[in-house]
Amino acid sequence: MPLGALYQDAIALLGAAGVDVAPLQAGGRKLVFQADDATVFITTRPSDVPTYVEAGAADIGIVGRDVINERRPDVYELLDLRFGECRMVYATAAGEDPTPEIIARLGVLRVATKYPQIAEAHFLATGRQVELVKVSGSVELGPLVGLADGIVDLVATGTTLRENGLVEREQIFHSSARLIANRVSHKLRAEDIDALTARLAQAVAAEAV
Amino acid sequence: MSGSTSGCAHSARKSSVSPTDPIQPAAGALPSGARDVLPVEAAELREVEDDLRATFARYGYREVRTPVVEFAHQLERADSGGLDRAYRLFDEAGRVLVLRPDMTIPVARLIATRLPEHPGPIRVSYTGPSFRVPQPGKPVASEHRQAGAELVGAHGPEADAEAVLLLWDALRSAGLGHARIGLGDVSVTDAVLDGLGVPTDARTRLARAAESRDLVEWRTEASALEIGGPGRDLLAGLPAMRGHAEVLDEIAETVPAAAPACERMVRLLELLDQEGLHDAVLVDLGILRDWQYYSGLVIEAYADGAALPVAQGGRYDGLAARFGTPRSAVGFTIELEFVHRALAGARTRRPLDFGLVLVGGLDALQAQAADLRAGGIPVIALATGDPRAEALAAAEGWRFVGQPEGSALRIVDRADGAVLVSMTALEDLSSLR
Repeated sequence: MPLGALYQDAIALLGAAGVDVAPLQAGGRKLVFQADDATVFITTRPSDVPTYVEAGAADIGIVGRDVINERRPDVYELLDLRFGECRMVYATAAGEDPTPEIIARLGVLRVATKYPQIAEAHFLATGRQVELVKVSGSVELGPLVGLADGIVDLVATGTTLRENGLVEREQIFHSSARLIANRVSHKLRAEDIDALTARLAQAVAAEAV
Repeated sequence: MSGSTSGCAHSARKSSVSPTDPIQPAAGALPSGARDVLPVEAAELREVEDDLRATFARYGYREVRTPVVEFAHQLERADSGGLDRAYRLFDEAGRVLVLRPDMTIPVARLIATRLPEHPGPIRVSYTGPSFRVPQPGKPVASEHRQAGAELVGAHGPEADAEAVLLLWDALRSAGLGHARIGLGDVSVTDAVLDGLGVPTDARTRLARAAESRDLVEWRTEASALEIGGPGRDLLAGLPAMRGHAEVLDEIAETVPAAAPACERMVRLLELLDQEGLHDAVLVDLGILRDWQYYSGLVIEAYADGAALPVAQGGRYDGLAARFGTPRSAVGFTIELEFVHRALAGARTRRPLDFGLVLVGGLDALQAQAADLRAGGIPVIALATGDPRAEALAAAEGWRFVGQPEGSALRIVDRADGAVLVSMTALEDLSSLR
């Protein structure tokens, strides 16, 4: 279970799919919860969810597509859960886009991001050289204080970008929450996982109506 | 430790090499992904390896060995992507060498180039390490201890069934009686794509989705194709289809062009059912590892306690031709350490090793020590009066400690604390075995 922005929606969807989420709703400071049917929930930072699933510490997990693209875990991606919708974008300061000018005169673009793998792949695929500055928070600061020419970051509504005088220039991909499964659990617990996936797919479809 | 204390410690050792000196790695440091194997683990890995070897031999698979280093271009001709994570070095003439990143391709090279006159089918097995550069941040070793078997020059469901049965039997002999075997089939998937007329560029995208196990992407790609009716639904859900023969019946019904491929797999399942493998086998059309490499069946084996498949394999009829002798082939590779990990996770404490630390074995009881060893009982011999017997037995994990007591011998069984004092203690020990 990813703590943070996806957490409440994930609980709601699991509940709609008939999973006993009562222990999660109780809250508290515990990180591991056990339901009456012996299901164990592990709560962790979203970026660690694929790590737990890949290592088999969890059979399945819920995590954003952004984390999957950045970490490239060796797991099955089973279902688009259609919440936590957002976009991975490249943004620069408002006004004329400085990117072409920088590429032409300096040859290399400086980009601040929390997603170095995604950013590198995007600029490589579009034929531009890039120098990545890895930051851990408040990426929006980068272009404002001269740390970088632009940023690659996740955007939901665009409010934070606007408030910091940044403009989206390129959309890299569309992200939403996904259901992932460990390679071995996916086969050893095939019946359980297929049943849960089907119920979640129904809940997602019902939500969309 | 406070800053000032560590500062003092540092200045005191100014002249010697500090243990954290970046140029001088600590004495126990190894390259990333490399590790030592200590006696208990080595013994258990050896047991797993012996069990697998014995099973391979029972099915008539003879062992071969290939060199650890090969020419990079030799292996590249078989699988262009296969050397992505290989360790490379140069020989004296500047040619690029690799530490073999897997065993299948070197064994295919050996069969194609050294055994061209063999009438076939050829059955070979192998055991040994292969090497891959570890990926940062992932707990995967650089050295993979592997064992596997290849059936070359035989095709059809019967040959596939032999490979699956051998894999299952080998895992069972090593102690993984509850392993589950997943079977995909590239030829079924290909036949469905052919039958539905999926264009080449879409196939490339579907293959990429399948190989990265991204069923969401597959569904999105498949749903965007210009295919009508049930065909499109089938294609969208294809890698999520699993179960048993009924899965293949459904595919054959919806896409008649795929019926021959489905029938072959149904026949394979019948053969496996007859061997009693019905519950161990799961048909899963999402098992599509490397589309370029495999030409039919794709095999994976799973066990509780191992986060990755304990074995992988399949049919690669095109591989041998790249070494000049076209032959069909099916085989698999078992990861010994994953098997061992699954066993260690399931097993209770390892029992003490059946062996005797014998005080006096070096002098007064020399002949008795020799007799025991000849009888197959391991003995660590100490001099009369050596006080370290108990500590040694504890460190080695050995079960018995013996020393003279008067004219008799006193033997302590460390497993249950039983003490035996008798003139014939050594014979009694032999009979315990």
